[in-house]
Amino acid sequence: MIVHHILGVDGQFPLLYLIWLLPLFGAILLWAFGPQLKSLAGPIGSALIGTAFVASLVEWGLATQAVGTNGAMLYGAHMSVLTWTKGFDFGLLWDRLSLTWTLIITGVGFLIHVYSIGYMNGERAFARFFAYLNFFVFAMLTLVLSDNFVGLLVGWGLVGLASYFLIGFYFDRPSAVAASRKAFVINVVGDVGILYAVFLIVSKIGSIAYGDAFAAAQSGFTPGELTTICIALFIGCAAKSAQVPLHTWLPDAMEGPTPVSALIHAATMVTAGVYLIARCWPFWVNSPDARALVGAIGAITALTGAVLGIAQWDIKRILAYSTMSQIGYMIMGVGVGAFDAGVLHFLTHAFFKAQLFLGAGIIIHNLSNEQDIRKMGGLRKQMPFAFAAILVGVLAICGIPPFSGFFSKDAVLYETLVHGHPWLYAIGALTAGLTAYYMFRLLFVTFFGTYRGDVDPSSLGIRHPELAGVHAPHDENAHTEHAHAPAWLMSVPVAILMVPATLIGFLYLGGRESVWVKFFAPVFNTGSESAATPILSELASTLLVLAVVLVGIAVAYIRYARAGFFANPIERLRLESIRMPAPLTNALYFDLAIDYLVVKPTQLFGKVCARIIDPIVIDGAVREVSLSASWLGHLFRSFQTGLVRAYAFVIVFGVACFAAYYAIAGGVH
Amino acid sequence: MIAFWILALAMIASAVFIITAKKPVYSVIGLLANFIALAITYLTLHAEFIAVIQIVVYSGAILILFLFVIALLSSGTKAFDVGPDKMPKAVLPAAIVAFVALGFVLVGTLRDKLGPAAGVVTATSDQTGTANAFGSVADFGASLFSINLLPFEVTSFILMVAVIGVVLLAGDDTPARKTGRKEHNRESIVKRESITR
Amino acid sequence: MNLTEFAVPIEYYIGLSSVLFFLGAIGVVLRRNPLIMLMSIEIMFNAANLALVTFAKAWANNTGHIFAFLVITVAAAEAAIGLAIVVVVFRKRQNVDVDEVAALKG
Repeated sequence: MIVHHILGVDGQFPLLYLIWLLPLFGAILLWAFGPQLKSLAGPIGSALIGTAFVASLVEWGLATQAVGTNGAMLYGAHMSVLTWTKGFDFGLLWDRLSLTWTLIITGVGFLIHVYSIGYMNGERAFARFFAYLNFFVFAMLTLVLSDNFVGLLVGWGLVGLASYFLIGFYFDRPSAVAASRKAFVINVVGDVGILYAVFLIVSKIGSIAYGDAFAAAQSGFTPGELTTICIALFIGCAAKSAQVPLHTWLPDAMEGPTPVSALIHAATMVTAGVYLIARCWPFWVNSPDARALVGAIGAITALTGAVLGIAQWDIKRILAYSTMSQIGYMIMGVGVGAFDAGVLHFLTHAFFKAQLFLGAGIIIHNLSNEQDIRKMGGLRKQMPFAFAAILVGVLAICGIPPFSGFFSKDAVLYETLVHGHPWLYAIGALTAGLTAYYMFRLLFVTFFGTYRGDVDPSSLGIRHPELAGVHAPHDENAHTEHAHAPAWLMSVPVAILMVPATLIGFLYLGGRESVWVKFFAPVFNTGSESAATPILSELASTLLVLAVVLVGIAVAYIRYARAGFFANPIERLRLESIRMPAPLTNALYFDLAIDYLVVKPTQLFGKVCARIIDPIVIDGAVREVSLSASWLGHLFRSFQTGLVRAYAFVIVFGVACFAAYYAIAGGVH
Repeated sequence: MIAFWILALAMIASAVFIITAKKPVYSVIGLLANFIALAITYLTLHAEFIAVIQIVVYSGAILILFLFVIALLSSGTKAFDVGPDKMPKAVLPAAIVAFVALGFVLVGTLRDKLGPAAGVVTATSDQTGTANAFGSVADFGASLFSINLLPFEVTSFILMVAVIGVVLLAGDDTPARKTGRKEHNRESIVKRESITR
Repeated sequence: MNLTEFAVPIEYYIGLSSVLFFLGAIGVVLRRNPLIMLMSIEIMFNAANLALVTFAKAWANNTGHIFAFLVITVAAAEAAIGLAIVVVVFRKRQNVDVDEVAALKG
């Protein structure tokens, strides 16, 4: 039957399998033949992802045609790959939501692959890197294209695995290994949540298919069950999308190579939670409690990320916290019920954050893996292209019109008002201001003033140069020994990303009447929800947020871009480093709290098991069994004299017993 | 009846002689007497073929094997002697147990003799030596190769295993090592391996 | 050759068989010379054979004969292997006292 599907005999979208399996093919190919392919591995891996992207575009076209013939139906296509029993078949789903994600995964993924050819050039494990990247794309596509919860869970786990591989890519660096382990463990916590939700769904409706589950969302579950399912699902989202309090792995994940940070920990994987909530929108629509919780968590995460972003000096960590903050926006959007706005923010964020990371990667690459912005400065003249890239990204993330972030952030914030959550709106607006502040701080400190790379680190307030940030130099020799790859490999993808990062927001031009909302109208068929009258009009909301953003920019400008700063930037940075409030430098003690609330009790439990339960109860039982066996052995050993005649005597004795028995019992008649 | 008693006494006496003899050679002589008496007893039971086999196999083959081994073991530099038969501590209980068991068996078998005769071995009408009579060679052969063919074949397999086992056990691997002729050693190993296969 | 002019109860044959069997057993238990032990075992085999042949006669069924024949065959194999073991043990230890051969002592 699979052959039938691939030939498109009964599937409308024959290329879907190609999109799905090409990255897997690439992963296996590069894994198996990486050493032989050498430097060809990068181009091959990129070409496969590029092909998948083109195939996605073709499939989009086919789907649009199908809509033409099928009327207003959302173009969903279920194509069974495996059929187990009724309600348990694994298929691929091609609707506007999975289409959006697939295009981002393959499109941005392709650009980042190309960028990686330049960035990773000369690394020891060039082919392994691309194998992992391809594997990640495959895993993410499994997650997105699956038409059932089990496939989703498989993809969910596989992207965690790919993330683990890639964070720990420099496995000879203890910090990278620790970070990858941390990410994996926290992600598994989330996997367990989703697994529990899937169990609940299957036990209730006996099917794993999205369609069956969503059809039952309205009346198939009690409100309590539905809320439980939503919260269990959201635990998975929180772990994968770095929501408070499961976010602590994301900053550490910056141990991975920068393209990985761009692709996995900014553009795609960390938005899987947004995808899941958007995909399961019928659950959320019918569960107000879950919506309130998710919206609140999203807002808290947005604020937390922004606050922590202020205190960072490592360029990638700043971006990591900003990612966390922006995902908080998305989660807040989909949480309150503004699914299309949340997805729009995912779309714009994928572009501008990937671009920010790739721009940062250019800087890091050219500065031989320096990541501390205190040691940068004045790079505007040295690297004008990187400056342009970061500038566009910063403008986008801050929500300056007409850059893409303006539209999406504005949409999310306004929708929170529309859905009646003014507090979330307030937090979101505040976060927007903080975001503007720390992003412009990054911009000013990095690109303006004078270069400080040759200044003694301690005079900049860098207390432990070897511990500051994650920029333990790796393979510097490798970078100096080989000739740099052509610069265009790294700059062209960034240049391409600049276009959508700037313009993609116009999809939302017109608010509820925009192309974007109409595109998703058949997907998020939320019906006529009683919309509260927002306390602010859309224009007022926009202007308010813009005002807050401008205040943030102004503060950053006053602190970092005026004569007072440029007069003695080294001293200013030193003072700021030293005077940074302890809660901020310690990431609001989340790690500490998790350590004391979860890790320590678990370790205590483990110690109790190891010191008491295991040696006494379990070992004791085992020891008693073995001792009794040994005792029996001693007993029976004494019978084994080794004397043949003694054995013969025993046999005769036995015969005598038989004879006696039959003589007394009267024999056998 | 008289013949039975004579044969029984001969057999018991020879058996006692066997188990009390000082030297194995004497035991072999006693065993020979025992076997011959037993063969005659078989004839009284109309088991002609078994009687012949008893003489041929036991007296002819097994006893000669015993004699060979005795000769082989006595031919070394050291005399074949196991020293005095120290009676183990178990001798008294063993003898008692054996005799008690014997008593039980005899009681069990002879008890019914006092009652109605369960059966006697009497002269049958047909004379021994008649073809196809009970116990004749023809009778025995027909039975052996028809319904009892499988046990017969299995026995042949057991015999083959025994032959191989004996060759392996007593097979001589020391001379090659002593003389240091590696060629011969390898040959014998090859031969042994081919046998075990 | 007709030696059975007088009727002999089969119990007498069985009794004779038992006596012979236990004499053999006593020989096995009491003697230390492996050759004599083996001969005692032969006595026991023969006692069993006598019982078998007697039963065959009593029931006029020659399966007892077949069985006795097979026992003789197996006894021959047993004797051959037993004697081979004796030879090997003697060659290795220059001694065939069964009480000395107690390597299997637990």
